[in-house]
Amino acid sequence: MSNLAVLPIIIPLIAGILLAFTNTNVRLSRALTQILTVVNLGVVSFIAWKVFQDGTIVLETGDWIAPYGIVLVADSLAITLVLTTNIIATAAVFYAPHSLSIEKEKHYFYPFYFFLITGVSGAFLTGDLFNLFVFYEVLLMASYALIVLGGNKVQLRESIKYVLINLFSSVLFVTAIAFLYGVVGTVNMAQIAERVQEVEQFGILTTIAILLFFVFGTKAALFPLYYWMPKSYIVPNPVISALFGALLTKVGIYSILRVFSLIFVHKIDLTHETFIWIAGLTMIFGVIGALSTNNIKLIIAYNIIPAIGFIMMGIGTFNQAGLSGSVYYLVHDMIIKTALFLLVGVIAYVAGTSDLRKMGGLIHHYPVLGWLLFISAFVLAGIPPFSGFIGKLLLLKGALQGDHIFIVIIALLSSLLILYSVMKIFIRGFWGEENPLVEKRTTKGFIAPIVFLLLFSIFIGIGAEFIYPAIDSVAVYLLDPEIYIDSVLKE
Amino acid sequence: MTSILATTEQIIDITLFICFFGISLSLVLLVYRIIVGPTNADRAVALDTIGINLMAVAALMAIYLLTTKLNDVILLIGILAFLGTVAIAKYLEKGVIIDRDID
Amino acid sequence: MYKPNDLILRTTTSLIAFILLGFAVYLLLAGHNSPGGGFVGGLVTSAAVILMYMAYGMETIAKIIPVNFRTVIPVGLLIAVGTGLGSFVFDVPFLSHTFGYFNVPIFGKIELATAMLFDIGVYLTVLGVTITIILNIANDQ
Repeated sequence: MSNLAVLPIIIPLIAGILLAFTNTNVRLSRALTQILTVVNLGVVSFIAWKVFQDGTIVLETGDWIAPYGIVLVADSLAITLVLTTNIIATAAVFYAPHSLSIEKEKHYFYPFYFFLITGVSGAFLTGDLFNLFVFYEVLLMASYALIVLGGNKVQLRESIKYVLINLFSSVLFVTAIAFLYGVVGTVNMAQIAERVQEVEQFGILTTIAILLFFVFGTKAALFPLYYWMPKSYIVPNPVISALFGALLTKVGIYSILRVFSLIFVHKIDLTHETFIWIAGLTMIFGVIGALSTNNIKLIIAYNIIPAIGFIMMGIGTFNQAGLSGSVYYLVHDMIIKTALFLLVGVIAYVAGTSDLRKMGGLIHHYPVLGWLLFISAFVLAGIPPFSGFIGKLLLLKGALQGDHIFIVIIALLSSLLILYSVMKIFIRGFWGEENPLVEKRTTKGFIAPIVFLLLFSIFIGIGAEFIYPAIDSVAVYLLDPEIYIDSVLKE
Repeated sequence: MTSILATTEQIIDITLFICFFGISLSLVLLVYRIIVGPTNADRAVALDTIGINLMAVAALMAIYLLTTKLNDVILLIGILAFLGTVAIAKYLEKGVIIDRDID
Repeated sequence: MYKPNDLILRTTTSLIAFILLGFAVYLLLAGHNSPGGGFVGGLVTSAAVILMYMAYGMETIAKIIPVNFRTVIPVGLLIAVGTGLGSFVFDVPFLSHTFGYFNVPIFGKIELATAMLFDIGVYLTVLGVTITIILNIANDQ
C-alpha cells in the first residue's frame, strides 16, 4: 500500500479544479499553472526515482484487495512515460501564455489541460482494463474541449470527425472488454494475464486481441486507421496540437505495448507477426503523407505516423532489443514531437502562414529558430549522436535478430524520407528570398520551452549511458509478465 | 389458509399478466399516435401518456419482483414525464421553453 | 398580441418545485444503501430549478438564486476529490471509506458514511453541469 502511485493523477486533477475558479484572472491562472506543473514534475520525478530504486509501487484503491478492487500500478514502464508526459507538460505550459489568446485562456484552457494530463497519467498508471477505458474517456473529454477551443469553422468541422471516430472506438473498446470479461471473468490486467494462460480458448482470445488492437490502433493512428488524425491535430492552437501529438497517440501505442506484452502473448506468431507488417505499412504511408504536403503543421502531424510505426516494429519483433528500442523511441518521440509542434507553431506565427510556398528567408531574422529546427530534424531522423539514433539502432537490432530484413530496409528508407520532409521546411522556409510584406514579430518566450525539450532530447541521446540500463530493465520486465502479475496479485 | 394464499397468488399472477398485456398494447397504440398524430398537441399528450404507462410498468414490476426499491423510480418517472410535458406544452404555446424575461 | 396565460403553471410550480427539492435530498441521503445517490439527486434538483426557470423566466430566477452554476461544478469536484484526499491524512489507501453510527437528536441512531461526502460532491457537479448545459442551449438564439 502506498498512496504515491495516485499522486500523478490526483495533483493535476486538483490543479484543474482549482484553476476552474480562477479562469477570469489570467495572470493568476498562469502563475498557478506553472507552479503546479513544476510541483507535479518534481513529485513524479521522485516517484520515478523510487520505482527504479525499490521496484513497482502498487496501490489498491479503497483498500479492496487486488483482483476485486481497482489497482494502480506504477511500474517502471508506466512511470517512465508519466515522467516524460510531465516534462512535455511543463514545456507546453511555459509556451502556452505566449501562444494562446487571452480569450482562449479565459475559456478554461488550463483546467482542461490539467484534465488531459490527469487522463494520460491515469491511463499509464492503471492496472485495470476497464479503468483504462475510463481514463481514455477522461483524456478524450478534455481533448474534445481543447480541440474546439476558439471555435473556428475548420476546428468545428475537424472536431466532429474526431469526436465521431473516438466515440466509435470507445464503443468498440467497451464491447471488447465485455467479451474479455465473458471469457476470463475479470478486468484486472494481472488476473487476465494469469487466466489467459489457463483457459484454452485461443480462438476467441485472439479475436478479442484483434478487436482491442483495432481500438488502440485507431487511437494510436496506425495504418490503415490514421486517416482522421493529421488534419484534426493541426486545427487547434500549436500548444494543444503539441499535447495531442505527443500524448494521445502515445497512450494508444502504450496500451498496445502493455496489452500485447502482458496479456495476449499466447499466439505471438500470428499477432506480433502481423504487427510487423502493419508497422511497415504505417511507416510508408505516414512518410508519403508527410512528403505530399506543403503545410508545415501537416508535415509534422504526418510525421507522428511513421514514429508510431517504428514503435510498433519493436513490439512486433518482441525481443529484448526490440522492446527496449520501442520504449526508448517512445520516450524520444514524445519529447521531440512536442518540440517540433511547438517550433512549427512559432514558425507559422512569425511567417504569418503555414504554407511553405509563401515562406522564405526566415533565417535572416530568426536564426535561432532556424538552427533549432535544424537540430530537431536531426534528432527526429536519428542522426548520431542524438536520441533518435539510439532508439532506431535498438529497433533495427531487434528486427535483425528476428530475421525481418524487409522491415529494416523500410525503416531505414523512411528515416531518410522523414529527414527530407523536415529539412524541406528548413530549406524552403528559411533559405531563399524573404517576403518583405511580413512584419517582424518577436519570438521572446517561445524559444525557452523548445530549448528545454531539445536539451532533454539531446541528453537522452548523449547520456544514453545513464538512460539505457533503465530502459533495458523495462524491456526485460516486459518480456516476463510473471513479474507484473506477482507484484499486483501478491498472494 | 394456504389454499387461499395460493389462490391469491394465482390471481395476482393472472392480473399482472393481463396488466402487462394491456400496457404493452396501449404503448404500441401510443407510439402509433406519436408517429401519425395529426397535430403536435396529440403527440405531446401521447408522450405524457407513455410516461404514465412507464410508471405503471415500474409499479407492476415492483409487485412482480416483491420489492419496494422501485417506488422511488415511479416517483422519478412521474416527475420527469411531468417536466417533459410542461416543456413541450410551453414550446407549442410560446415557441420558447425558458424565456429571458417573463413580462 | 396574444399572450398565453400560465397561471396554472406558476401556481403548481411553487408547490412541485419544493416537493422535488425534498425528494432530491431524500435521494441523495438514501443513495448509499438503496437506489439513489448523488447523481440522480443532482438531476432531480436540476429538474426543480429548470421547472422554476420555465415558469418564471431567466431574469427572475437569476435574482432569486444568485448562484453562478458554472462555479458549482468545480466546487462539487473539489468536494468529491477532497474526500479522496482524506486518505492521505489518515494514511490509508486512496479512496478508502468508512462509516459509523451516530445518535442525532431528532432522527435517533443513523448511519453516516464518508461515501456520502463524495456523493455530495457528485450532487453539486451534476447540478452545475446539467443547468449550465440547459441554460446555454436556452440562451442560444
